[in-house]
Amino acid sequence: MILFVLCFILFMIGLYGVITQRNLIKIIIGLAIMEYSVILFLVLIGYIDGQTVPIISEGFEGGFVDPLPQAMVLTAIVIGLATKALMLSVAIRLYKKYGTFDIRKMKDLKG
Amino acid sequence: MMENNVTTQQKTQGMTLVVKKICQFIAPTIFLFGIYVTIHGHLSPGGGFTGGVIMASAFIFQILSDGSILDKLRAEKWRLELTESLAIFTFLILAVLGLIIATTSVFFANFIPVGKLGDLISGGMIPIGNVIIGIEVCAAITSIFVALLIFKDEESL
Repeated sequence: MILFVLCFILFMIGLYGVITQRNLIKIIIGLAIMEYSVILFLVLIGYIDGQTVPIISEGFEGGFVDPLPQAMVLTAIVIGLATKALMLSVAIRLYKKYGTFDIRKMKDLKG
Repeated sequence: MMENNVTTQQKTQGMTLVVKKICQFIAPTIFLFGIYVTIHGHLSPGGGFTGGVIMASAFIFQILSDGSILDKLRAEKWRLELTESLAIFTFLILAVLGLIIATTSVFFANFIPVGKLGDLISGGMIPIGNVIIGIEVCAAITSIFVALLIFKDEESL
């Protein structure tokens, strides 16, 4: 149970970063921390105490952790990579347009 | 004109000699570890995506340490996209071969004999698919990095 609470605290750290920071790169880092906390939570759901990895090998006796959240989390990691690449490219584009990463100075709409 | 030449030369310098040499030592090791993770994907944790990301990090190390030479990077980007598309096409051909050859004619059906459990050459189509996915992910992630780098260099010029 303490692990789920720590997951939630990690999510809140990411959310704090997204809300309070003004630098665009730091906002992206906060979003990444939130995503990793959700990934950790999904893996922890499938974890069973005292069981082995879900790989069938020679001395296999049955009893492994749930492999379904792990397979799902792999897809989530791939999508997270693609979205982070997109966010960084948009950040570079905004830096080219405004000359800064500060979101307070990006309020004037230049055509 | 003279100023432009100086700035491009400064940009293509890269990092210091120590970083360059260390990256030359480390990058082949990282690439080899990526190949290991990829071809052992059906026996241990890891697989095509993980191995591909590790292999791409070797290329990214080299680009970061040696500095970005824009014309060379453009040529590499073209080749990277070709490699990525060819890998996807090969994966599709593998899936359609399962539809045609295998007795149970479904998409992605296995038509290669599965070996003994725990051997390196076993698992039927899964290791072949892992290798193709590894090539594809390596090309794609290096392509993303090179695209960001080209974009950054174009804006500052």
